[in-house]
Amino acid sequence: MDQSTIVLLLLPILFIQLGLMIFALVDLIKNPNPNGPKWMWAVLIVVVNIIGPILYLVIGRRNY
Amino acid sequence: MNQFGVLFRKEWRENLRNYKIFWIPIVFILFGILEPVTNYFLPQLLDSLGNLPEGAVIELPVPQPEEILQAVLGQYQLIGMAILILAYMGSIAGERKSGTATLLYVRPLSFRDYFLSKWLMAGITGVMSVWLGLLAAYYYIFLLFEQVEIISFLQFAGTYSVWILLVITIVLAASAAMPNAGMAAAVSLALVFFMQIADSLLGAYWTFSPMKIPAYAAQWLYGKPDMSDYWWTLALAIAFILALLFFGIWMAKRKASTAKV
Amino acid sequence: MTILEVRNLTKRYGEQVAVKDLSFALEEGTATALIGPNGAGKTTTLSMLAGLLRATSGSINWHRESGVGFLPQHPHFFPWMTALEFMEMAAKLSGVHSKNALSQSKKTLEFVGLGSVQNKKTGTFSGGMKQRLGLAQAIVHEPKLLLLDEPVSALDPTGRREIMDLLKSLQPHTTVLYSTHILNDAEQMTDQLLFMQHGKLVEHGSLGEVKERYAEPRIRIRFQTARQAAAFAGQVSWPADLDGSAVELAIEEEGDTAMKKVLAKLADTSEGVIGVEQKTATLEEIFIKVAGGK
Repeated sequence: MDQSTIVLLLLPILFIQLGLMIFALVDLIKNPNPNGPKWMWAVLIVVVNIIGPILYLVIGRRNY
Repeated sequence: MNQFGVLFRKEWRENLRNYKIFWIPIVFILFGILEPVTNYFLPQLLDSLGNLPEGAVIELPVPQPEEILQAVLGQYQLIGMAILILAYMGSIAGERKSGTATLLYVRPLSFRDYFLSKWLMAGITGVMSVWLGLLAAYYYIFLLFEQVEIISFLQFAGTYSVWILLVITIVLAASAAMPNAGMAAAVSLALVFFMQIADSLLGAYWTFSPMKIPAYAAQWLYGKPDMSDYWWTLALAIAFILALLFFGIWMAKRKASTAKV
Repeated sequence: MTILEVRNLTKRYGEQVAVKDLSFALEEGTATALIGPNGAGKTTTLSMLAGLLRATSGSINWHRESGVGFLPQHPHFFPWMTALEFMEMAAKLSGVHSKNALSQSKKTLEFVGLGSVQNKKTGTFSGGMKQRLGLAQAIVHEPKLLLLDEPVSALDPTGRREIMDLLKSLQPHTTVLYSTHILNDAEQMTDQLLFMQHGKLVEHGSLGEVKERYAEPRIRIRFQTARQAAAFAGQVSWPADLDGSAVELAIEEEGDTAMKKVLAKLADTSEGVIGVEQKTATLEEIFIKVAGGK
């Protein structure tokens, strides 16, 4: 398998991870009442890959 | 009066606006892709990381495509189940606690439709997420390794879907029975994980239990499970689901008075 | 016609009695104010009437098919829903035909003054807007009986007046039972008063009846100066209390007789008089008396 195909295969992973992170961050910024301090969630979302955004979405978000 | 339609529309809107219907499938897809990709790059990764003496060659057995698909299932059994449980733990308990339930309960509400509308929405999200994730895994395995026979795959994913519905039913029934979302999650996680451990430790004494569904699902990849055990297991799982549905509806009604006024 | 009758309604939480042997009836088309100090059991009573709580004992008789609307003290809405979406759902769940649910919802939102924000998410609503939406969801299905828990206490004076006016305009088609601790509001709109304390009904009747029961036959005469007031107080044979430049006379007589006697007396010695009035007890004074006395 040539290099460019492999890069193409890896791109979705990168997109999803970045996408989740950016989506969670934007949502956090707009969130008027997250479950816990905002800065903590921001750090978690950026530092802990995949799991950080997921944790924010299931625990930190609360409906708004 | 069609309360189910009205309530399902509310659940649909809610899952759309809190983005659950988007991000849960995406996370399942991500884990579906990661497994074959890591397997593919593992030899190169070890090669570049390890300070191996000159001339040493690592001989890693190339994993069978079925094994990778089974490993994806392993990921779902841990992270996937936890995500589904945490995402839906507050479905009923949370509404009662926040007080939003009061303005529903004060009406001539059908608790059956109330519970089932939530169950269907969570079920759709869960089953769709697992199928999309497994299909993504299937496609990547096909590109990087070999194709898994499609019939085997469909039997595998179809069987596993029953397990997903069981987990969704457990978390919703727990959410109806428990005073808050946290306790609903704790009870569901305990049921889903500890009972699986119990089944794997003591399960040699019996051949059918709902906890064996993931194992039987995986057996389709290599051949087929013992059909008598398989059908008994599925029948038992569906009986569990039905019993939990009745229990959840009953609890939703019984605990309605605990909603914050 | 009696629309709702409550007999010996009791609610216990373990040892604690929240509501004890409550009995009363609501006549169709009337407004009833449920008053009492905090913790008197008003919210518990309304929750039982609304069907949210099960009574420990006692009975509630009414025609459920005629519909009930309920506004909790702090209504909570799904923050991600728009006002109109919520109203439409509420209407349908209350049995409004799906053909009419949308138009009925719009009409009701207009009625409570939320027409212009009907497509805004309720998460962005202020307290006053939520209270209005709370009222709207309670009346969208045109219930015969409306139960309101402190409908105006969270609002500023202007908002209170507006909501009270809305409630008044619902009569006489709707029977209203509302709790409040703002007695001024209770005085504005009430055919019947229910006074609760420690879970029990301690006083009830029409506003006039209750006032009469607690009325003290006192006549207040205001003078220009305190000296003139004191001089007058010294001259009369009735029990007199000095209050700055005013004198209050307590005369036990039927009807107008006391006032006539006072006016006759004043005709002789009316130096510095600037006002004479028959005192009536305000609801607030009655409240303090009832709450303190029993």
